Amino acid sequence: MSLLSEQDRQTVRDHLAAISHPVKLLFFTQTFGAPDTVAIAKQVLDELVSLNDRISQEEVNLVLDRGRAAQYGVDAVPAVALLRGEEDTRMRFMGAPAGYEFMSLIEAVILAGTDDSGLTPESKALIAEHAKEPRDISVFVTPT
Amino acid sequence: MAVESPFIRATCVEATEFMDLARKYRVTGVPKTVVNGSIEILGALPEPMFVKAALGLPAES
Repeated sequence: MSLLSEQDRQTVRDHLAAISHPVKLLFFTQTFGAPDTVAIAKQVLDELVSLNDRISQEEVNLVLDRGRAAQYGVDAVPAVALLRGEEDTRMRFMGAPAGYEFMSLIEAVILAGTDDSGLTPESKALIAEHAKEPRDISVFVTPT
Repeated sequence: MAVESPFIRATCVEATEFMDLARKYRVTGVPKTVVNGSIEILGALPEPMFVKAALGLPAES
């Protein structure tokens, strides 16, 4: 059963058409003691993957594959890391990307799948000049 | 910003699922952005302001 109406699926499909690189959604989960939101997240990712041939997903078990989870800085589930091909885009989602966050996930997928960050030249220049050490930006959101 | 620089990681955190984190950073309204656990940005800012704040630069730069 699809989460989105056929009309919404087509709208998202149209947005995703701009993707030129393969995008992999690394989905971090666990077998025991997983919150219910893991199932919701899985549904959302399944839906997204079905809308564009260049988008794929791979499940990583937090407990069984601790090293890989640590490699991506993930210590809780559900979590999603976005890769462009096999390269980390450094974008993460913690929690089921439902509701408004689904739109953010689509935007992130487009960022991963295309070559332009969409930032202004001024922003790009500031980042090039001033981002010299690891910087972790966490944006807290809610599903509504 | 994350795709633009290898130094930057950007995470969207669903606050109701990670309440310990939300509590730790005193998230009472969203969006709230926390950079390196110390810089706090409340609400949605226009891009130039957000980028400067996230980079730890003064707003007038």
